[in-house]
Amino acid sequence: MSYAYLFKYIIIGDTGVGKSCLLLQFTDKRFQPVHDLTIGVEFGARMITIDNKPIKLQIWDTAGQESFRSITRSYYRGAAGALLVYDITRRETFNHLASWLEDARQHANANMTIMLIGNKCDLAHRRAVSTEEGEQFAKEHGLIFMEASAKTAQNVEEAFIKTAATIYKKIQDGVFDVSNESYGIKVGYGGIPGPSGGRDGPSAAAGGCCS
Amino acid sequence: MRMDLMSGYKGVVGLLVGNENSSNEDRYVERLLDRISNGKLPDDRRNAIAELQGVVSESQPFQLAFGAMGFPIMLSVLKEERDDVEMVRGALETLVSALTPINHAKGSSNEVQPALMNTDLLSREADCISLLLSLLEEDDFYVRYYTLQILTALLTNSPQRLQEAILTIPRGITRLMDMLMDREVIRNEALLLLTHLTREAEEIQKIVVFEGAFEKIFSIVREEGNSDGGVVVQDCLELLNNLLRSNSSNQVLLRETVGLDSLILILKLRGSSFTFNQQKTINLLSALETIKLLLKGGSESDPGKDMNKQANKTTLVQKKVLEHLLILGVESQWVPVAIRCAAMQCIGDLIVGDSKNRDLLASKVLGEEPQVEPALNSILRILLRTSNMQEFLAADYMFKSFCEKNADGQSMLASTLIPQPYSANHAFLEEDVSMSFGSMLLQSLTLGENGDLETSCRAASVLSHILKDNLQCKERVLRIEIEAAPMQSLGAPEPLMHRMVKYLAIASSMKSQVGKSSTSENSYVQAIILKLLITWLADCPSAVNCFLDARPHLTYLLELVSNLSETVCIRGFAAVVLGECVIYNKSTDSGKDAFAIVDAISQKIGLSSYFLKFDEMQKSSIFVSVKSSLTYQSFTRSSASSMVDIEDVDENDLSEKKNLDHPILSSILDSNFVNLVKSLEADIREQIVEVFSRPKTKVAVVPAELEQRSGESDGEYIKRLKAFVEKQCSEIQDVVHRNATLAEDLAKTGSTLQPEQRVGGASDRIQIETLRRDLQEASQRLEKLKEERAKVESEAIHYRNLAGKMEADLRSLSDAYNSLEQSNLQLENEVKALKKEGHSTFPDVEAIKSEAREEAQKESEGELNDLLVCLGQEQSKVDKLSARLLELGEDVDKLLEGIGDDAGAAGGAEDEEDDE
Ligand SMILES: Nc1nc2c(ncn2[C@@H]2O[C@H](COP(=O)(O)OP(=O)(O)OP(=O)(O)O)[C@@H](O)[C@H]2O)c(=O)[nH]1
Ligand SMILES: [Mg+2]
Repeated sequence: MSYAYLFKYIIIGDTGVGKSCLLLQFTDKRFQPVHDLTIGVEFGARMITIDNKPIKLQIWDTAGQESFRSITRSYYRGAAGALLVYDITRRETFNHLASWLEDARQHANANMTIMLIGNKCDLAHRRAVSTEEGEQFAKEHGLIFMEASAKTAQNVEEAFIKTAATIYKKIQDGVFDVSNESYGIKVGYGGIPGPSGGRDGPSAAAGGCCS
Repeated sequence: MRMDLMSGYKGVVGLLVGNENSSNEDRYVERLLDRISNGKLPDDRRNAIAELQGVVSESQPFQLAFGAMGFPIMLSVLKEERDDVEMVRGALETLVSALTPINHAKGSSNEVQPALMNTDLLSREADCISLLLSLLEEDDFYVRYYTLQILTALLTNSPQRLQEAILTIPRGITRLMDMLMDREVIRNEALLLLTHLTREAEEIQKIVVFEGAFEKIFSIVREEGNSDGGVVVQDCLELLNNLLRSNSSNQVLLRETVGLDSLILILKLRGSSFTFNQQKTINLLSALETIKLLLKGGSESDPGKDMNKQANKTTLVQKKVLEHLLILGVESQWVPVAIRCAAMQCIGDLIVGDSKNRDLLASKVLGEEPQVEPALNSILRILLRTSNMQEFLAADYMFKSFCEKNADGQSMLASTLIPQPYSANHAFLEEDVSMSFGSMLLQSLTLGENGDLETSCRAASVLSHILKDNLQCKERVLRIEIEAAPMQSLGAPEPLMHRMVKYLAIASSMKSQVGKSSTSENSYVQAIILKLLITWLADCPSAVNCFLDARPHLTYLLELVSNLSETVCIRGFAAVVLGECVIYNKSTDSGKDAFAIVDAISQKIGLSSYFLKFDEMQKSSIFVSVKSSLTYQSFTRSSASSMVDIEDVDENDLSEKKNLDHPILSSILDSNFVNLVKSLEADIREQIVEVFSRPKTKVAVVPAELEQRSGESDGEYIKRLKAFVEKQCSEIQDVVHRNATLAEDLAKTGSTLQPEQRVGGASDRIQIETLRRDLQEASQRLEKLKEERAKVESEAIHYRNLAGKMEADLRSLSDAYNSLEQSNLQLENEVKALKKEGHSTFPDVEAIKSEAREEAQKESEGELNDLLVCLGQEQSKVDKLSARLLELGEDVDKLLEGIGDDAGAAGGAEDEEDDE
């Protein structure tokens, strides 16, 4: 249970692009071939290590369907990272990225780290969006980019970990006031407490010391 | 404007108050509202609002009058006068007063309750919720405080509307969560509000947890001193339970990222304070409820429930929950009985179907050296000795959970059942920790001898758990013989089972002696012993044999089945035992084989009347309620205090209902047992038919035997044939006799039952079954239709939005077109002016001018073309969308009407010209 940091993630993107599958692959190392439409949000968690520090990821997988937007938006503000997913075999999911991004910019905190994922790269023969286009979009909007496959697990670990590494780096650089939990970051044992000294985390109460 | 509005409301008020003319209250409130909205002097307006608040808080008619016209005015104060804290406070306080019920001594319940009506009215005001939520960010303490109170009032009366509204407001829940970090008064108010908000609203529960609710709840609980804290701790735990109930996602989060330490900490009894005030009891009960929810794993329909449950169990056990539960439920006799029961039930939930946890429990020893004993023994002692029915039930549940599908555990317990010499039995259950489980149980089983049927039947309940589905244990316990008491000198040792039947008989006879006053108590003694017999005999021919060894048993059972002074349930159970004597009968003794039993049934009871007992039992309220059981009462602030005082079931309630079963039966008869009885019934019916369709073994008709054997003299042959004929004759007599009984039975049923009733049973059931299936199908179809409708509706909304966007595009295009024309005109004017000027000064200007005009025209023409293309595209889009909307059942004309109004100012002008 003890972690140096806890990061909250959200996964967003059109319905059917494979958000739930990415989460399942990451937490359970399984692939789910049938589309179980997500209703509202679902939760998953996993521990990873960055810079030799245990980091807990709390991940909320949101429903891509339009009708759930008002619910899923409630999760934007408190998230430290977002995986924005499209399906490389369906052009329209790529075309919608701009509107997802706009939503995120409007409701999330400005420091949220966004990872753009072109999913289903195992289906190369049905590709409708080129890798370069993905890269280009990411560059234009200041996102990290990766193509991945929830089916073959290619780049799935990497995507979650790279996002965490980026957040971690931002903490090291002092971008966040990590004592403010509204950034979606919590300090546990051995994490660097924020400038005001993280008074109300459970770990602080237990008297964690920096190692 | 506002005055108009109010006169419109007057009619409504008139109706509600019940007189035509507006009342004094109406006029008074109206005047105050007028001063508030139209007053010029700030002080005067403030006074007016204070006065209004005063009257509204005092009487229902004023509440009613205010509700009918005041809301828009108050809301506009809140919206537009944010800077005037005093006005805002005044408006909020007035709203609080309008929503707070005023108790009228004489007010009857069917009168309109103005506060409720006002809550409804306010919750319908557009944007009211987002306005209120925004007020939570104000600095003024009272503003936040009153706002929370208003929200709570709205939530109490129209929870769904508010829950839906809050989900659509960005950061709405975040703002409420922030209130948990506010100062104490606000924090407590916010806790209550969140508790209401999260009740049965899964999405809200998840968002609240996303916002860090668990950490905040536990930090408040810790600050307040865990279980020693006040009502705030109770509120926190109620919120916690709302977040976990039927929500496995939140359970995972709690377990995986927040941890269960803080929860376990609440269960820990601190220091030497052995005193439990009511609040502490409730706090602990709430925390035990949390444990129970975690042990349930989520809602019944959740496919991930079982995995989650298992993970919760594992984590809880790692955190030493069992030790804490044992302290609360078993070891500490000063703990209030309600807590002891809840803790024991949790132990049951923890071990059921989990071999590791069962072994863990079995290995626990309690007490301090040298007074240590196995935990199971302590629990058995509680079960046998408690004066509280609920505690008996909780301990019984624990043993049931321990024995369920646990053959090894059953054998372990059964192996200690070793009869002691009679003399040792005298020390009744003293705190003798050296006594084995089995001796304690056996001793209690036989206490019926001293007239203590109650203890005896409690022990019988435990024994039935040990025997359930375990042939080996059944056989083993069959061999147990009990010595007769020394003073009853002629008694030889008799089987334990016979003792139990004897107590059953004593219980019945005591009942008929004492009369109706103690009916119910003995009826559960009987029911429990009968349940033991049913469990024992099931699938166990040697048990049947042992039972039938004593002739009077059968007679007694036959009597019990037809004894009308017994409850339906007792008669039914007795019928089941009889049936087991048929289907599990391997005996070949003519007196006690299956034939004999069936004959006895058909002669003494009559077959149809016998089967009727099953029907009656299945229809009895107890059976019906067991089937639909497992509706847990949730633990809320309102129900808390009543749950604290667990006492025996209300006795007054019982005395009058003479033919009803004891309420504890519904706890004893779990669904497993009900299912067992049901499947037995089917087997019994089948077996009885089978018995009737075969000849008895007496006469074997082998044609070869009818021939004269070689070497057989005629005399011998005739003798043999005669004997054979005699046997056959008696067989025929038997059959005729049986036939007569059956015919009589048939004739009797025929005369007592109305034709349609007779058809009843089977065909009725079939009909009900088909009806039920139809209903199910219909409701599924309805569900599907609803889904479809929602989809279509959301599509319609989507298209309507699109149409709106199109309309806006169209408008901006037409604006662009207008401005283009404008500039064109200007250009032309400029050119004209230039031309004039040029005429006088430069003769060459004509050429420049025409060139310029040409260019300008070309340019604007190009743009115009683009525009027209655009317009065309838009139009075709609109057409397409209209068609789609029409398909979806939208009124397209009505929609487009709106568009025409504001978009087509130019078009409108043209139309007018056309009209002229
Ligand atoms: N071939 C392939 N199929 C995938 C991959 N990821 C997801 N899928 C399939 O795509 C479908 C949708 O996946 P989900 O993960 O349920 O989609 P989602 O984004 O969660 O959709 P919503 O919950 O409606 O928002 C499923 O049938 C998956 O099996 C992938 O990497 N490769
Ligand atoms: Mg999904």
